[in-house]
Amino acid sequence: MDVVTKAKWDKAAANFDLMAGYGPEKRWEPFKRRLFSQMGEGRILFLAIGTGLDVPFFPPQRNITGIDISDQMIEKARPRVAEYDGDIELRQMDVHEMPFEDGEFDQIFTSCTFCSVPRPVEGLQALRRVLKPGGEVHMFEHTGSRYFPFLVMMNFMTQFSRRVGPDMNRTTVENVVEAGFQLEHVEHVFLDVVKMISARA
Amino acid sequence: METRPYFVFGDIVANSLAGVLVGVAMGALFGPSWNMFIAMIVGMGLGMVLSMAVAFPMGALFGAMEVMVPVMTTGMVAGMVVSMTAAMEPVSVMRSAVLGLYSGGGTLLFCYVANIWIRGRASKWTS
Repeated sequence: MDVVTKAKWDKAAANFDLMAGYGPEKRWEPFKRRLFSQMGEGRILFLAIGTGLDVPFFPPQRNITGIDISDQMIEKARPRVAEYDGDIELRQMDVHEMPFEDGEFDQIFTSCTFCSVPRPVEGLQALRRVLKPGGEVHMFEHTGSRYFPFLVMMNFMTQFSRRVGPDMNRTTVENVVEAGFQLEHVEHVFLDVVKMISARA
Repeated sequence: METRPYFVFGDIVANSLAGVLVGVAMGALFGPSWNMFIAMIVGMGLGMVLSMAVAFPMGALFGAMEVMVPVMTTGMVAGMVVSMTAAMEPVSVMRSAVLGLYSGGGTLLFCYVANIWIRGRASKWTS
């Protein structure tokens, strides 16, 4: 267990909804609903479920395992999970040490996750292991930008943001490819900073 | 492009606030005794840092990256414009605020245009 990352997100849990619960969720709701509408009938892994802010956007009657490194986050998520019309199992674990069998899940979803996983390529490789061959991963992520002046901005912001939360300059699309996934689709939501990524194992 | 009135309103308010705040602060800090190039570099850095005071609370209300990135860019631009102007000639509080406000408006417009252009290039898969 990465205790440094766990401690950071345990600490962030108390005020997480204050920062992320209204404006960001309202702004991203149409995009997230569209991404999560691709949740199918099989077993779904949702990585870094956090305080469960995304749960109201899930289609009903799905079989979802939601994991997070922070038990404080998971405790905050429980009321939202209890209201979900379907099956969500919450488990605390580190993506690098998932106890699941190889190929256990049909689909994997993430939401603003790989800005925070300390070793993103290894984390994505761990996801690929628990995904069935040909299984889908769908990600809603923010990354760095390749364009000036946003490139400078994101690198600058990361020096501050990584102390209390996420990195702002990750290269998540490249990391997905490096982890061995077959990239299928990238849709930019805001600049080239917020994006939806779909890939296959 | 963002068209929902609530978020467009939030973008305008956030960037205007950041521009005015950074403009007034940089106008007070810099003066004709400063070397213009040094004032520009210091102003850009301080402007970005100072704009975080607007970016985080406004981000909670109006969106995360969609607010933070333009607002911090506004901080950088307003910091540059006002610090350079103040290094050339004395600037009043009002003029600093107006220069900051224009910087915020211009930066937001630039971000909206950049958003349309970059989103149109979505087929180029890069981070």
